[in-house]
Amino acid sequence: MKSRSRRQLRLTLRYLAIALVLIVFLFPVYWLFMISFKTPDEIFSSPPKWWPGQIQFGNYAVLFKDGDVIAIWNSITVSFASTAIAMTLGTLCAYALARFKTGGENLAMWIISQRMMPPIAIVFPLFLIYVWAGLVDTHAGLILLYTAFNLPYVIWMMRGYIEDIPLELEESALVDGCSRWQVFWRVVVPMARSGLMATAVFTFIFAWNDFLFALVMTRTEVITFPVQLTHYMGGQSNFWGKIAAMSVLGSLPVMLTVAFMQRYLVRGISLGAVKG
Amino acid sequence: MTARYNRLSTLIDRNFGRIAAAPAIAVLLAVSLFPLIYTIVVSFQNLTMLDSDTSFQGFMHYRAALFDTRLWAALGHTTLILVIALPLEIILGYVLARLFLEQLPGRQVFVALLVLPTVLSPIVAGATWRLMFDVRFGPVGQIVSWLVGEPVTMLWTVNPTLVYPAILICEVWQWTPFMFLLLLAALSNVDQGQLEAAELDGASGWRVFSKIILPAIRPVLVIAILIRGLDIFRIFDVIWVLTEGGPGTMTETLSIFTYQIGFVQFDTSYTAAISIMVVLALTIALTWALRRVEALK
Amino acid sequence: MAGLTITGLHKRYGGFHALKGIDLTIQDGSFAVFVGPSGCGKSTLLRSIAGLEDVDEGKIAIGGEDVTDLRPRDRDIAMVFQNYALYPYLTVFENIAFGLRSRKFPETEIRRRVGEAAEILGITALLDRLPRHLSGGQRQRVAIGRAIVRQAKLFLFDEPLSNLDAKLRDEMRGEIKRLHKEIGKTMVYVTHDQVEAMTLADRIMLLRDGRIEQEGAPLDLFERPSTGFVASFLGSPTINLIPGRLVTRSGRSAVVLDTGESLDLPAQRAKLDDGERPILLGIRPQYLTRAAGTLAAGHARIEANADLIQPTGTRTFVTSHIGGVAVTAELAAHDVDNSEGRIAYALDMARAILIDPSTDKVI
Repeated sequence: MKSRSRRQLRLTLRYLAIALVLIVFLFPVYWLFMISFKTPDEIFSSPPKWWPGQIQFGNYAVLFKDGDVIAIWNSITVSFASTAIAMTLGTLCAYALARFKTGGENLAMWIISQRMMPPIAIVFPLFLIYVWAGLVDTHAGLILLYTAFNLPYVIWMMRGYIEDIPLELEESALVDGCSRWQVFWRVVVPMARSGLMATAVFTFIFAWNDFLFALVMTRTEVITFPVQLTHYMGGQSNFWGKIAAMSVLGSLPVMLTVAFMQRYLVRGISLGAVKG
Repeated sequence: MTARYNRLSTLIDRNFGRIAAAPAIAVLLAVSLFPLIYTIVVSFQNLTMLDSDTSFQGFMHYRAALFDTRLWAALGHTTLILVIALPLEIILGYVLARLFLEQLPGRQVFVALLVLPTVLSPIVAGATWRLMFDVRFGPVGQIVSWLVGEPVTMLWTVNPTLVYPAILICEVWQWTPFMFLLLLAALSNVDQGQLEAAELDGASGWRVFSKIILPAIRPVLVIAILIRGLDIFRIFDVIWVLTEGGPGTMTETLSIFTYQIGFVQFDTSYTAAISIMVVLALTIALTWALRRVEALK
Repeated sequence: MAGLTITGLHKRYGGFHALKGIDLTIQDGSFAVFVGPSGCGKSTLLRSIAGLEDVDEGKIAIGGEDVTDLRPRDRDIAMVFQNYALYPYLTVFENIAFGLRSRKFPETEIRRRVGEAAEILGITALLDRLPRHLSGGQRQRVAIGRAIVRQAKLFLFDEPLSNLDAKLRDEMRGEIKRLHKEIGKTMVYVTHDQVEAMTLADRIMLLRDGRIEQEGAPLDLFERPSTGFVASFLGSPTINLIPGRLVTRSGRSAVVLDTGESLDLPAQRAKLDDGERPILLGIRPQYLTRAAGTLAAGHARIEANADLIQPTGTRTFVTSHIGGVAVTAELAAHDVDNSEGRIAYALDMARAILIDPSTDKVI
């Protein structure tokens, strides 16, 4: 009896600790969402109001009215396009690395080291080239950049997923009359389906969340949402409603995908080191 | 006899590895090697916003960089954030992982919620904390006032004693869940039989940790430290939103500094030289680190 | 028509010489089995025939056509893999149809052929299922089905039964033998299991360290092994190898064991020149019987303690120490009583195999 009540107590304490942790970590997110629903009067009240008087979408309406949501649209197109290209080229390259040992271990190491270079070290050189090539502030320029930036990740992750596919399946297809190209599309791609999905989601998120490249390479035409967000901050005049609303719009897609991709989260963010 | 078979298709199959790898390698080379060569050339010239002097200047900019106190200060700031944030994230992440390790109803949902900050854009994270830290309308100052029992005015993003705590809070808040998630996965794979055997032997908590748990989670820990270490080394977004490197150059990190001289002052050749030096230093450090990681496996 | 000829085949993996000059011919329509211990090169040889491994030297010809440099898809072969290699995302029907679709067969032809194959293998009811909903035996049938719809010239089997339990293995073995009779194509089968090799093969190629140690009909290899290795690889329980000396005096030969017993060889097996040399006396367990009354011709008598008696129902295995080593005798079920101590054996010396211990060659 005694040990049972003690276990009960421990469980209660654990739940309490977990609740405390969640409050601490989620309160800023709550605050962000709440501000986006507040009226300016409620936002700028001191002491701050802990919940909105009423849910209203004025801050979002302003973004749409001013046409600022174009930044979200830019983020969507650029992220989608670069993800699609990086996944196609990257998966093919990963297949070569996994099954044909193309370039040996050195090529694989070079590729992953590309991923680890700090963007700031390559963004200035790239900027010089982009100016010369007229790629600054173009969709093509940003898409190329995100493709290149995410390729090492895609190659690294997909190599791991492809190595998990039993070799016999591919050999059986070869004997059954497939060319290598057919093996890739009819066996490798369907077998790596879930890995492809997970990697694509993370590739998308990386492009979606990027700030530095977009800051440097865009001016007016392809401003993405993080850049747009920084435009609302300046000295004394903070457009808090806009900041909050834009942040929420820019975070919802990522939050939703992660909720559905939980199974692949660990492997995705650890560069495949933890199979999870 | 071979004429019956498609020559081209056979040729493609025989070289499929190279053909499949080529496009990706081409893109990577175009975006890394080509600009790198161009930058090396520029770093030996003397291009600035006002001047387009393309004559050969030797190692002038490299020498200048070595004696640039602002650059060394930026490196110092970056290191400061690294040595405080990284251990904090690891320790907090480990504690949280232990808290969530045992199965209990609703665990999956809790984990998913806790991971939220990590997937946000760092710019959004920074913006969120800017709202949180606001001196008049933010909740942080309010909460501190309650705790102290009297009204306090905290200028988080301006006051020299508070800017680093502000940056660190935001950084640790966003990335502790990352460590938590990896360590949770690592801890779940620790051999339960070994733990039970140790418990039966009456081993102390510390011995269990250092002899069983730590060796088991070490590979994951190394990867996590490597990934996060490199991330913090290039920290830019959060600082850009919170302080823009200020007040003055107090929170200027390597990335912020490079951005300032390259894209604000347009000191082209000098920035090129610094970029080359960073790439060189990191390549050496990374090659060494990756060898060590490989050796660990 | 579609026999298989291999000449001078070499395969190296870095410093490891996996195949060291293989020459063989397999007649059209026959069932050949590559057998040997793991690492002997049998799987590498099969994969080379399939085109899944590039060879370093030598030629492979299927049906008289040199296929050495052709891709697997151009060799017109079908292969069944050890782990079935079924595509988990395709139904049984689509798994069987996979090769036909690769070769762009018309839909009606695909339906007809898959239907036929399913009929032969008794899996018609499973066509709409996914592989993960099948038992091991059913999966194996699907894998075989995928091979036979193609109506290829040559069938390759890479240890297809090793993942099945003993009962299913016996059943599928019979099934494969029946299939061979039915479709009459050349089949090459790899296994490490000598029972499978003996029961299935028209012709066995026994491999050892990248070479063919001996090839021939199963019973030939069993009764007339060329080396001690072949003798001990085939047969279950394994052959007894007793150390001793072969002594020939004036036209009569005998094996003198290390423990002193002398076992006479029948006159037709006597060696010509006098002298003596160390040998291993190889005698299969079934050629040790109980000595009763007078010995039959060619038999030698020896007494030993029954150390271990293991009845299996049909036969009873008795282990004794003879010549300093443990020797197994396979006796009829009621030939021996559990309480018996000393047993007199009759060794059928006409069937004995004499091996030179220094070269492992049979004398």
